[in-house]
Amino acid sequence: MKKIFEISLAIVTSIGGFLEIGSLSTAVQAGVGFGFQLTWAIVLGTICVIFLVEMAGRFAAVSHHTIPDAIRERFGFNFFVIAFLTVAIVNFLVLSAEIGGVGLALQFATGVSYQWWAIPVAFAAWLLLWKGTFGLIEKGVSLLGLITLCFVVAAILLGPSWKEVGAGAIPTLPDHDRAHYWFLCVSILGASISPYLFFFYSSGAIEDKWDKSYLWPNRIIAVLGMSFGGTIAVGALIVAAMVFRPRGIEELSALYPVALILTPQFAFWGFVLVTASIGIACFGAALELALEQAYLVAQGFGWNWGEDLPPASDPGFNLVHTAAVFLSALPIAAGLDPFKLTNFSMALTAASLPVSVVPFLFLMNDEAFVGEFRNGWFGNGAVLFIIALGFVLAVVTIPLQVFGS
Amino acid sequence: MNLIRDVLDKQVLDRDQKKLGKVDGLVLVFGKGPPRVAFIEMGSVVLARRLGPRFGRVVARFCTFLGGEGAGEPYRVPWSKVKDVGIDVEIDLAIADTPLDDWQEWLRKKLLRRKARA
Amino acid sequence: MAVREVHLQQVLGAVVRDRKGRRVGRLEEVRAEAHGAHLEVTEWHLGSYAAFERLAAWSIGRAVLNLFGAAGHAYRVPWDKLDLKDVKRPVLRCPVSDLEVID
Repeated sequence: MKKIFEISLAIVTSIGGFLEIGSLSTAVQAGVGFGFQLTWAIVLGTICVIFLVEMAGRFAAVSHHTIPDAIRERFGFNFFVIAFLTVAIVNFLVLSAEIGGVGLALQFATGVSYQWWAIPVAFAAWLLLWKGTFGLIEKGVSLLGLITLCFVVAAILLGPSWKEVGAGAIPTLPDHDRAHYWFLCVSILGASISPYLFFFYSSGAIEDKWDKSYLWPNRIIAVLGMSFGGTIAVGALIVAAMVFRPRGIEELSALYPVALILTPQFAFWGFVLVTASIGIACFGAALELALEQAYLVAQGFGWNWGEDLPPASDPGFNLVHTAAVFLSALPIAAGLDPFKLTNFSMALTAASLPVSVVPFLFLMNDEAFVGEFRNGWFGNGAVLFIIALGFVLAVVTIPLQVFGS
Repeated sequence: MNLIRDVLDKQVLDRDQKKLGKVDGLVLVFGKGPPRVAFIEMGSVVLARRLGPRFGRVVARFCTFLGGEGAGEPYRVPWSKVKDVGIDVEIDLAIADTPLDDWQEWLRKKLLRRKARA
Repeated sequence: MAVREVHLQQVLGAVVRDRKGRRVGRLEEVRAEAHGAHLEVTEWHLGSYAAFERLAAWSIGRAVLNLFGAAGHAYRVPWDKLDLKDVKRPVLRCPVSDLEVID
């Protein structure tokens, strides 16, 4: 009974914790620019993250290692430094974007520019990380994130042609603005398959003391939680396509119009729902990212770590997440546009995936770590294909977007 | 056992199961007979040397500047202190008996204003 | 005989050559066994060196390298058949043909 409750809670928190500035921004831009045509990219990214999250949970439960810990142990320090720096830099940029997302939500609510909110948001995040437990951060904030289901409700109420939505789940070539289409595809994959997601999941499994008895719950959580989460992103895409395109808006250069995206269905409460959704979703993601930076460092260098430990037990771990959250707030406080930063960081995430995912796939096939619970050929093949696709597209489209925009 | 696969870069736990760090290096001693594993080495200087000898010297000088003479040298655990090599390497020492926790102890005193360990 | 210290992590990956200067492989692994209170080296393993450190020491790594024809041979070298006086340039003390190939 206890396990059923745990699984249900974990699924719900996976749903609530799925949407953040990257997945929301890229889904909205995709809907605005190409209608339902990029639904397939969200579906593909969600499938990939289901595989990776399930693998991360299985790895932690069986090997009692987290992914960064195991990468150092198996590949050695010299390779670990490359993976560590790549993931840490990407995390830094994404964390900045999330803080910017919270700032934007507060700007929508108060009229005060997002820049001024960067440091107070960082302080609030630090306070929760300092005083809160892992359960409060992972489950409490993610439960609040269920508010993002408003996008799914709005999408249903808008009454789209589900046949057309279904057609969008099959990859097609764009008939206009090809560079932007493929760049958005890359950004959606990067938003869906962020390394921090499955790295954090493996750390969370160790924090929650998972063992082999959690293998089936892990599978259920990964599939249901990520699927429903991906549905919210598709909901945001549908709403963007049906609200903005009929009004002649076919491109976004900032996120401000998103504040009004739900007002056709819910009037003033639509504005409240969007503002709250963006604020809560981005704040939750910011907490996870700051924690993930601390996990990366502590696990890679063998320090004591644990969000449930008092700060005196792991001051180094606490110093890193403190520094991470305040340093990441600086670019936003300095005026960097969260919209542009989000687009760039999502594309960079896709380009960097081979460095984090390929070593992880080797670990998932290493008998010494996972024994009989190794990956099958299908799991290996599916993940490798999607990662390779993301990487190739990123390498081609980032220059096109930078020079073409 | 395989020294690189089973020992190098593994987590080190003290006698109270607290994390000390990782096996950053291993020292072999060559004399009469087969080479012996003499020490586990731990610390930022050891890691820096793995990235390059010049970088190792820079980090050693920086550690000496911060922590005084001796701080620029790796910390060595004699192999005789290793109790078990499994998922982690367990050693028969307490973290308080090593300098590995000194910087975190400084953080506790300065930032958390906790009493120094006895 | 003077006692000499060698840092294992600095020998890892060093190219091992035979007495004629021909390349045999890179030092990939060191096997050791407990003898009383001591842990003594019994053999050195030589092989190809992939982009990932220690990748070639695993079966899957070797399988991937075999796929690309890059695996080469891996050898078991008894502890006394490797001259590590110069840790950057280790030299084999016996012919390659005397070495056991690792599958």
